[in-house]
Amino acid sequence: MAADQVSMGTRATGAVRTAVGSVVSPTSERQREIRRIVALCLPFSVLLVFSGVFPLTEMFRISFSESRLVTEGFTLEYYRTMVNDPYYRNIAFNTLWFAAATTVASISIAVPVAHALEKYALPAKSVILTILSFPNSLPGIVAAFMIIILFGNTGVFTNLLAFLSGQSRIDVAISTGVLGLFFAYLYSMIPRALLLLRGTYSEINTDAEEAARVLGATPLQTFRYVTLPQIKPGLIGAFILVFRTGLAIFGTVLILKGLLVWTLQIDRELAQGFNIAQASAMATIWFVFVFGFTVFALRYTSAEVSI
Amino acid sequence: MAKVSLENVTKRFDSTVAVDDVSIDIADGEVMGIVGPSGCGKTTALRLVAGFETATDGTIRYDDEDVTPVPPENRNVGLVFQSYALFNNMSVLGNVTFGPKMHGVGKAERRERARELLELLDIEELADRDPQTLSGGQQQRVGLARALAIEPRILLLDEPMTGLDAKLKQTLRQELGQLLDDLGVTTLYVTHDQEQAMSMCDRIAVMNDGHLEQIGTPAEIYEEPANEFVAGFIGTANLLDATVTDGRISFGFGDVDAPDGLRSSGDVTVLVRPDDIRVGDGEGDAAVEVTNLFYQGEHIQATGTLADGQELTLQLDRSLTNVETGDTLSVGFDPETLHVIRSTK
Repeated sequence: MAADQVSMGTRATGAVRTAVGSVVSPTSERQREIRRIVALCLPFSVLLVFSGVFPLTEMFRISFSESRLVTEGFTLEYYRTMVNDPYYRNIAFNTLWFAAATTVASISIAVPVAHALEKYALPAKSVILTILSFPNSLPGIVAAFMIIILFGNTGVFTNLLAFLSGQSRIDVAISTGVLGLFFAYLYSMIPRALLLLRGTYSEINTDAEEAARVLGATPLQTFRYVTLPQIKPGLIGAFILVFRTGLAIFGTVLILKGLLVWTLQIDRELAQGFNIAQASAMATIWFVFVFGFTVFALRYTSAEVSI
Repeated sequence: MAKVSLENVTKRFDSTVAVDDVSIDIADGEVMGIVGPSGCGKTTALRLVAGFETATDGTIRYDDEDVTPVPPENRNVGLVFQSYALFNNMSVLGNVTFGPKMHGVGKAERRERARELLELLDIEELADRDPQTLSGGQQQRVGLARALAIEPRILLLDEPMTGLDAKLKQTLRQELGQLLDDLGVTTLYVTHDQEQAMSMCDRIAVMNDGHLEQIGTPAEIYEEPANEFVAGFIGTANLLDATVTDGRISFGFGDVDAPDGLRSSGDVTVLVRPDDIRVGDGEGDAAVEVTNLFYQGEHIQATGTLADGQELTLQLDRSLTNVETGDTLSVGFDPETLHVIRSTK
């Protein structure tokens, strides 16, 4: 038994030496290719370990700590709280339905825009594209500010609505309500959906669409029977990307506070409650959920693509 | 089925004129080919007939109906694409029943119609297959079945055999030619392959740079090309400079009797096909010094230089394996095979 273990250890050491040796002094094209891959990925790998894996591991450890501030002992109390306390369950529910609703709305708006942009020759197309992609680099706080300018107590639309309805501006202002937050989310999510959908649209087999037209399909029927199945992988990809964005939005919700969502509560646990362990447990759940969701959804997407 | 007319049709894309004042009449049940080099406007012409493009000027009619502004879905046209363009999210049967479904044909009837067409095209066993798993030839048959399933007024074929291997192309050409004959459907066949057009079409329209150069039967196009372009595009052509005087054609290398009834005189260009030139070692009309030889299986193609420096392409019997570059061959011209295609003055 001991001899077997020694033998296994020797073999493993030998394998590592061979692998390192092939990277340092490659003798075949495949080994040279591996060396290039290692060289190209090394900086990111180092960053991933020190800025990603290490803090995530530490966060994971703290989430089981008996102390709220430091790593000490082991308890499942913070996870139990999230499961049993209706307050946290309600936040989880809010986060999920809001992200799902804004995702569906964003994609529903982005699909016709992507269709128009990719299918037709539009005047000043590059200007339109620049304007549409601009919100991608817009900080959440600025998006929130824009919503306040539009729908705040003294906002442009608020004034107009108050004038038309005869109600007070305070009554018709929606910037700090769920609806205001909804519009603010769309600022961030539509351009992301558009980016992905435009890429999908550019790969569509336009001959198949023309074949459908000539066979008697109206433009709407062509979209339903031919275009939609082709953009389905892109729609799923856009759903994953945009839904994750919806779960992660923080700056906007911090300013508008229209709905208590997961990221805002993590901030409150840290800033107001000094409860690092609870915040860590929430962040861990967030990470596991998003990671699991992405893996599951991508698997589904690739299955669709390969059919 | 319908007769189709393009009447003085022009299509401009910004400053580019893709189709320039083209008029073509296709009789009911006729197979019309449009041939020409890449960018000559033949595909644009087909797209105008299908309704994907709207003519800038001119009129397109199916029978006596002006369809110029009618969208493609209301024209009842069958179109077979070079890229097959099958719906990969549907089975083969789904592809073939799609058109009838869009035309409101009941499920049972459209499935029966599709089965009949698949059987006609000898691909009935592929009905439940995914189009992406089929070979190029099978996909093209499915595309044809799909186009025919709507019982189109006109069938449009856009380079349907490009991308297929030579053997399959030959088989499909025969089958498709037979099928079009049997069905009697009015067909517009667009191809850059003049051989395909010659073997499958009742008439051929030759296009170049947006213009219609000539329209006629394959024999007319081949034997009596209207100009140098048509002569050069259809088959292999020798275009020789000459002068016609008193019933004789004078080339730089010697004189030959002019064909009977030739009315041209003065400087002309004479077309002579390689397969019409007699090649031998004895007495002839001219001597050619062989510069290149290309073995082509069924025959040997030779190029050579005449005494006046003009180039001549010859078709040699493949038994003439002793001919080498640098040899001098005597060649003879039969007056009836010489075709004066234009005066140079």
